[in-house]
Amino acid sequence: MYGYCVSGLSVASDLPLAGLIATAARRTSDIVIAAAALPDALDAPEATGPTWQLAGDRFLIEVPGVVRMLLTGGRRLDYSIAPGANAEDVAIFLSGTGFGILLHQRQRVVLHASAVRVGTGAVLFCGPSGAGKSTLAAALGDAGYPLVTDDFCGITLRDERPWVEPDARQHKLWRNAIEGLSLGERRDAAVRSSLEKYYVEPRAASLVPLPLTAVYVLREARPPLTPGIDRPNIADAALLVRQNAYRPALVVRMRQRQLYFEAAASIVRSSGVFTLARRLDFAAMDEVIGWLEAHWAGIGLLERAA
Amino acid sequence: MTRTVWLASYPKSGNTWFRLLLANLGRDTPADINAIPLHATMASGRHRFDAATLFPSGLLTHEECARLRPRVHAALAEADDEPADLAGIRFAKTHDAWTYTPGGAPLLGGRAGADAAILIVRDPRAVVPSLASHFGITSDVAIDFLGNPQAYFCGERDRQQPQLRQWLRGWSEFHRGWLGQRELPVHLVRYEALAADAATTLAEALAFLGVAVDPADCARAARFADFGELRRQERKGGFREAPRRHAVAFFRDGTPDGWRTVLDTVQLRRIETDHAAMMERLGYPPAALERKRLAG
Repeated sequence: MYGYCVSGLSVASDLPLAGLIATAARRTSDIVIAAAALPDALDAPEATGPTWQLAGDRFLIEVPGVVRMLLTGGRRLDYSIAPGANAEDVAIFLSGTGFGILLHQRQRVVLHASAVRVGTGAVLFCGPSGAGKSTLAAALGDAGYPLVTDDFCGITLRDERPWVEPDARQHKLWRNAIEGLSLGERRDAAVRSSLEKYYVEPRAASLVPLPLTAVYVLREARPPLTPGIDRPNIADAALLVRQNAYRPALVVRMRQRQLYFEAAASIVRSSGVFTLARRLDFAAMDEVIGWLEAHWAGIGLLERAA
Repeated sequence: MTRTVWLASYPKSGNTWFRLLLANLGRDTPADINAIPLHATMASGRHRFDAATLFPSGLLTHEECARLRPRVHAALAEADDEPADLAGIRFAKTHDAWTYTPGGAPLLGGRAGADAAILIVRDPRAVVPSLASHFGITSDVAIDFLGNPQAYFCGERDRQQPQLRQWLRGWSEFHRGWLGQRELPVHLVRYEALAADAATTLAEALAFLGVAVDPADCARAARFADFGELRRQERKGGFREAPRRHAVAFFRDGTPDGWRTVLDTVQLRRIETDHAAMMERLGYPPAALERKRLAG
């Protein structure tokens, strides 16, 4: 078995999972991942989608032609590789989609976000796939801000304050981002053999939980949005956080609206929530990092330059 | 139960204009061109696909996404968590050609994916300069694109676009597919008819969908989405669907025959040769020969 730590949870897996932080495999783990024969369907599903079924504490999901996964009670991830599929293509779905669902089952708050460490806290960048979360986190990594999570971000509340659990994963970047950010030297394996998307070794990663200090919701600066950082009002800020749940459909189907409502309120109370609108252009990246550093100095996350 | 209706068109054929006309129904003032939900229901939108499947389409190849799309469109048509746009209808824009997956399923889900389609067509000789302006390419490259059976939007493999790959085929094949399929009833809207009488053309399209509207409402929507008004709004506040990389307006000309002064005879002949049969079928008679005769 292989051992990993994901969002503060110990994981034992019979399949190596690239991109996660490896630990020694333990005899008892919070989550066990194993190959298994899976049912075609769940009995009496209470909700279904084009690729998934939910029945009580069981969740069956199919990535056609790649893998099927059965997630149970936030503790077990059983998987069955599709006939003819490449086993190396499966890991990214277990460690991403699979974990996202497991964390939902554990009543954990998960945001669609990448995070870096700034000073003594974690700063999150939220947005749907393609919003530029990973690219911005990678660019910030090169500017000296260690990677905390990539793509999804587990939040825990301690004394009503939000903390970010590290995944210390690798970056996952498309080839044009790797070239645009000149990260070719740290490029690792492809996330799937058929994709031009690669793991990229971070310059530094943060391995301890950090208080969440700021959330930036990423936007493309197209009319009517103008480039820059804005602070939405409290109600809009809470809504933005909830909209950036990792899988909003699961929040509804698993009856977790109240959980996310409270988490969003806590994040808005104790951290800054901002929107960051910028051109989607690698040439603008240095300028965006400049805005962020000035903003971090302004809100007290960074010492002001002398 | 909300019905789904495709607003299908080859790019730069008036799809956005038609959606703005719809958005202006039942209003007292012109709708803000940047405030209507133009992208919420795009057939190729990645976000809706991911929200339905619960895994990221960005981890699938274009081919795997295409194989899954019939299932996803059927599920989205069933979903009741998105509001209707008008009279119980959810309009969804698409530039996808009518194609089938390797397994033989219609890409857009056939009858399970939608109830009907409005197909908006425009003279390809007007599409060429519009496409050229939008993408910052020459008219000759645009003519190649219209004639290319393997033309795609968002077909790159080295990056993730906000939309799934769309196979347009060529201009002729795009229309042959939509007009030839037998799964959905299709109503044809000609761009030139919109330009001549938007109110009546809009009312006819709505009548096809079984939606009764007050002619005065259609007339008002036509005024609110008049090209002059759209241009005015774009000049004042920009338009979020305008080209990113170069500063040109989205709403440029709008006149049906502006191409006559833009394209040369060789370019006209190329378009008219590439698309002769479909142009004739859709009522766009050739002009290259006529111009040559006049010049001679």
